[in-house]
Amino acid sequence: MEADQAVFLSAVGNHFLVGISRAMILFVVSAGLSFILGVLRVPNVAHGSLYMIGAFFAHSVTTVFGGNPLGFWLALLLAPLMVAAVSLVAERALFCHLYEREHLMLLLFTFALMLILGDLVKLVWGADYRSVTAPKILQGSLTLFSSPIPKYNLFLLAVGPVIAVALYLFSNKTRIGKIARAAALDREMVSAIGINVSWVFSFAFVLGCFLAGLGGALVAPTVSVTLGMDHDIIIEAFLIVTIGGLGNMWGAMAGSLIFGITQSFGVLILPQFAIVFPYLAVVIVLLLKPKGLLKSVW
Amino acid sequence: MKVNKSGFWGIAVLGICAVAAVSTVLMPPAAQARNIKVGIIDCYSGPPAVYGKDALNGFKLALESINKEGILGGKIEFTTRDTKFKVDIALNMAKELVLRENVDVLVGTINSAASLAVSKTIAKEQKVPFIVWIAKDEKITGAQGHRYVFSTSENTAMAGKAGGVGLAKKPYRKYWIAGDDYAYGHAIADAAWRNLKALKPEVEKIGESWWKVGEPDLVPYFTSIMGAKPDAVIFCTGGASMTNALKALKATGMAGKIPSWIHTAIDHAVLKPLGAEGPEGVMGTIQYLFYYPETPENNAFVERFQKAYGNPPGFPAFNAYLTAQFIADGFRKAGAIDREKFIDALEGLKVKSPVGGTAEMRACDHQAVYPMYFGVTKKVPQYDFVIATDILTLTGNEVLPTCDEIQKARGQ
Repeated sequence: MEADQAVFLSAVGNHFLVGISRAMILFVVSAGLSFILGVLRVPNVAHGSLYMIGAFFAHSVTTVFGGNPLGFWLALLLAPLMVAAVSLVAERALFCHLYEREHLMLLLFTFALMLILGDLVKLVWGADYRSVTAPKILQGSLTLFSSPIPKYNLFLLAVGPVIAVALYLFSNKTRIGKIARAAALDREMVSAIGINVSWVFSFAFVLGCFLAGLGGALVAPTVSVTLGMDHDIIIEAFLIVTIGGLGNMWGAMAGSLIFGITQSFGVLILPQFAIVFPYLAVVIVLLLKPKGLLKSVW
Repeated sequence: MKVNKSGFWGIAVLGICAVAAVSTVLMPPAAQARNIKVGIIDCYSGPPAVYGKDALNGFKLALESINKEGILGGKIEFTTRDTKFKVDIALNMAKELVLRENVDVLVGTINSAASLAVSKTIAKEQKVPFIVWIAKDEKITGAQGHRYVFSTSENTAMAGKAGGVGLAKKPYRKYWIAGDDYAYGHAIADAAWRNLKALKPEVEKIGESWWKVGEPDLVPYFTSIMGAKPDAVIFCTGGASMTNALKALKATGMAGKIPSWIHTAIDHAVLKPLGAEGPEGVMGTIQYLFYYPETPENNAFVERFQKAYGNPPGFPAFNAYLTAQFIADGFRKAGAIDREKFIDALEGLKVKSPVGGTAEMRACDHQAVYPMYFGVTKKVPQYDFVIATDILTLTGNEVLPTCDEIQKARGQ
């Protein structure tokens, strides 16, 4: 009996860690989406496409380095920067003319952009499956709570909080971060005191997309880098942002943790119906807190 | 009325022209040599595009030699439509190809649900032959089969039987079943378990887990399975999910601890991107391997394909190549571009397989018959990715349901 209890408790501990590590990827992507939603009020459906492009860029960078571990570490930096460059072009050429439009119009526009980016990925990289290999140090697994946990998941567990703290410091301790937060709350007032709101918006958009690209680069070693990987993540990211509170960075963290942990525990408790658990959690949160867990900036 | 000489000749020429024009208009179209029109509906966007593209390349390669020779005085021409892996789009595209483009044969698709829908509502109702070339649902030529639908793809019954036969030879007793939560995943699971249980009644299923198609994070599923300590796992996944599953097998260390069987796990389309990091010891089944059997025909096929498209052919290319052969030889045997005569000609028709030998279109269910291979992944010095080794060849008749079973499934 005690042995069974110990096995169950170790499984709980294992699934808890695995769930949090998945939540870290979700957090990075949904934090970017939340930032754009908060500051620009743009429901960017193409955010998932930028995540996918980040994964493809990561593949290209690692391929250039031919399996050298340096390629992976550089990919984590370069892939999001490349996505940021793509998004800067998109923002200056297209988005900056549309901020005053209605949400429905913006939704349709970003949906069209998602389709265009999907086709561009097919043109540039083709339809074949691609894979990114993590460096040797992150391959294989460690035994924690008597069960194996991939080293890469532990790496994600370490990276997630670092990114969260960096985002917190950026938005609370830097001038541009504070302006972006102010613009999220009252864009007219920010404009009235002489700040060039257009460039604040541009910066916020690029930063949000950088996070999407970083999410894509981080997830690349664990999945097949392929067309269509944008679809699932964008649905999950929107759900997370909604339950966390629109535009609230910490809300994105809370939503990601709920999503990742309920998914992981769903597998442990009822593996045949594990798919349902995170969505059930979303429904429960929205029933109890229709505006999200934390304060929405909308 | 008097007609002069030049007037007479003028009237004569006009008369001849009029007769020629009328006879051209009234001449029955069958009397004219024309091209055979094939309409292809398949997925060319999203993760399944890799298979749609491979099939299209196999089809084009086969047409190169077929069209050099010609068929009934004409050639085979084709037009493609992207279904985007959606049933409604597949139906609209198939309808458009039949009603507007007037295609003689419909071909496609990778999506089982779309194939079943097109088979039922377009092929059967419009009486157009429809050859399924990648979708694997056994209902296509089984329970829901009919006169107008054919398949050159292996189906879940064949894959399940091949897996069952291969696994029955292994010493495992306690199994866990896991896979993509959609029609294909469950169909493979049912077929594999049914056949394994029939061949080895003492096997026991200790649990199941199902994830959404393309699930990026399979680690919690795998750690949970490892905790249950089964002797072996039957994974029912495919496409992009397959790569995710193979990566998770390696990352969690499960590949070296618990044996697993996954249909098409030995497909190079999923193993090649993983390179040397692909997991070893994974059992898989498939109907085509570019490196096995090493026949002159297969080597020539691979060389031509590689030269034309830069990659070795996968199983969709093999299926599509066979499809083109069946279309060409079927119309040759029929002697006319006539859908009903073509169907009669296809039943029992044998064509040359690109790996050597022949493949037959079984008359009782319109299912192509060819061998299947059961192998285990392993690193070998010849390739920079893992390939199938210890290959066991199962003949087509060993893995196919019998004609009696098909009739029973159709309630006849």
